[in-house]
Amino acid sequence: MKSPWILIVFSLFLCLSGFTRQRAHQVTIRFDHYVGQAPLQLSDTAYHNSFGEPFTVEQFKYYVSGIVLIAKDGAVQAVDAGPFLIDQADPASRLLPLSTSLSSLQSIRFIIGVDSITNTGGVKTGDLDPMLGMFWTWNTGYIYTRLEGQSDSAHAPAHRYTWDIGGYKPGINAARTVVMPLNGIKENLVIKVDLLRLFDGVHPVRISQNPVCHEPGELAMRLADNYATLFSSLP
Amino acid sequence: MVMVLAIAGVDNTQKPTPLSFPIPPGWPAPSYDFKKNPPTLQGFVLGRRLFYDERLSRDSTISCASCHQQFGAFATYEHSLSHGVGNTLTSRNAPALQNLAWQKEYMWDGGISHLDLQPLAPMTAVNEMGETVGNVLHKLRRDTGYQRMFKEAFGDTTINTQRMTKALSQFVLMLVSAQSKYDRVTRGKDSFLLPERLGYAIFQKKCSSCHKEPLFTDGSYRNIGLTLDNTLNDYGRMKITGSRQDSLKFKVPSLRNVAITHPYGHDGRFFSLLNVFDHYRKNMQLTLLTDTILQHRLPLSNFEIGQSTAFLNTLTDTAFLKNPFFAPPGYNITPMFIHRH
Repeated sequence: MKSPWILIVFSLFLCLSGFTRQRAHQVTIRFDHYVGQAPLQLSDTAYHNSFGEPFTVEQFKYYVSGIVLIAKDGAVQAVDAGPFLIDQADPASRLLPLSTSLSSLQSIRFIIGVDSITNTGGVKTGDLDPMLGMFWTWNTGYIYTRLEGQSDSAHAPAHRYTWDIGGYKPGINAARTVVMPLNGIKENLVIKVDLLRLFDGVHPVRISQNPVCHEPGELAMRLADNYATLFSSLP
Repeated sequence: MVMVLAIAGVDNTQKPTPLSFPIPPGWPAPSYDFKKNPPTLQGFVLGRRLFYDERLSRDSTISCASCHQQFGAFATYEHSLSHGVGNTLTSRNAPALQNLAWQKEYMWDGGISHLDLQPLAPMTAVNEMGETVGNVLHKLRRDTGYQRMFKEAFGDTTINTQRMTKALSQFVLMLVSAQSKYDRVTRGKDSFLLPERLGYAIFQKKCSSCHKEPLFTDGSYRNIGLTLDNTLNDYGRMKITGSRQDSLKFKVPSLRNVAITHPYGHDGRFFSLLNVFDHYRKNMQLTLLTDTILQHRLPLSNFEIGQSTAFLNTLTDTAFLKNPFFAPPGYNITPMFIHRH
């Protein structure tokens, strides 16, 4: 019974090894969170977005999944061990040690969010444990990105703005693919994540008009377009 | 029967004892993927313990069974809106838990896409059990009884969200109601009385396109001309899909055990079957969004209502309502159901 599977796995291994240029080595990705040029702090310090709205940040986290590395010769390798929950409050979560057999990397591709099968496949463990709160229990689905804090511009209760952005169904799928050049980086890749772009990366989204996003839909889609623009590689 | 045999073979030190899932004759294949959560006796017993454990709520006052009572086919009995912790009311009438393996989506609005995910919603809702998943797990982990039960069911003492919800699923999946008089008649082991037979013919003509046999629901969401309650403002399916077309659509409930699952409707607004019939024949509020097959309401004579009621009573499954395996741990017999209005 098992032998066909062993054959399949073995031939897959052979296929994959055909692309390799060297033995597997570690590539570490680090996500550094900024507000403009200032490193992000979870505190009472107010930042300002491009509309002049003040805001503090109490929580900032998001799911990264489907990581793919692309070599200069066009070889592609999925290094998927995620989805990973990247959390500003947990420095260890911002480091992703990945294993790849590709050298001379040209670019990296990843998804902000998780795929629909993961959304609907029951209760998961690890970074996907619904206990972590990045999950809508009453309307099944993961929250892909959360940004929460206070803002004098927020007219919601307690002047809080709370953005929970997600959705997997057709038409309201908030997963976004990010592709970034790697500039010949070999081992340590530092990705700069600029929170300010969440407000205006593609669509202007003002706290004063939209202090609350708690469900999939049109607002979540606009914010998702924006979060696809947060990422750039640091030299 | 399967479970009786299984219990005889319990051995705490061995692998969990597999439980086979009974698929009644003539029923479709279940939607639940049992391969990803194979039921075992130990998983079932753990799930039952969790189902009846008040510590799943914030102040240890409410268990799953508080709103899902066995003698009411695991629905909320005689309360229109189910109750939550600290004198709160929920916005809905907890539905019966039966034949869940054949459902694809859960809740009156179908917002939850997997049975294993379902318990997390009532557990964390502030007007239901009002607790966090993390706190529940913390309480379970400190209980040596649970440590032992998780080990027996899953091989080691790890207690996490996934195992807790899988065990709960293993219990509620076994809540299969398929031994009513109707079932005996369809299997040739009993026969309808005249009113029941006449009522069955009326039912097939006027009700069964939505309340489809053998599950007595087609699993769809429909607008049956309910008016919006301006204290609840519950638009049902629209809240999930965001589509105006889904305004005031709710899931078609199964009619199995319908005689004892009153009150009826997503918010329990109908106190008797007669209220429901009256809604369909004269009280429906027709709008452009009312279901197409109900655009002229549902004409029903008093005779038809009487005969249909006789038929609906044949869907009461006393073997299910009194099955000791579904009763709270430590009880061999559930409170007898003899109370009928």
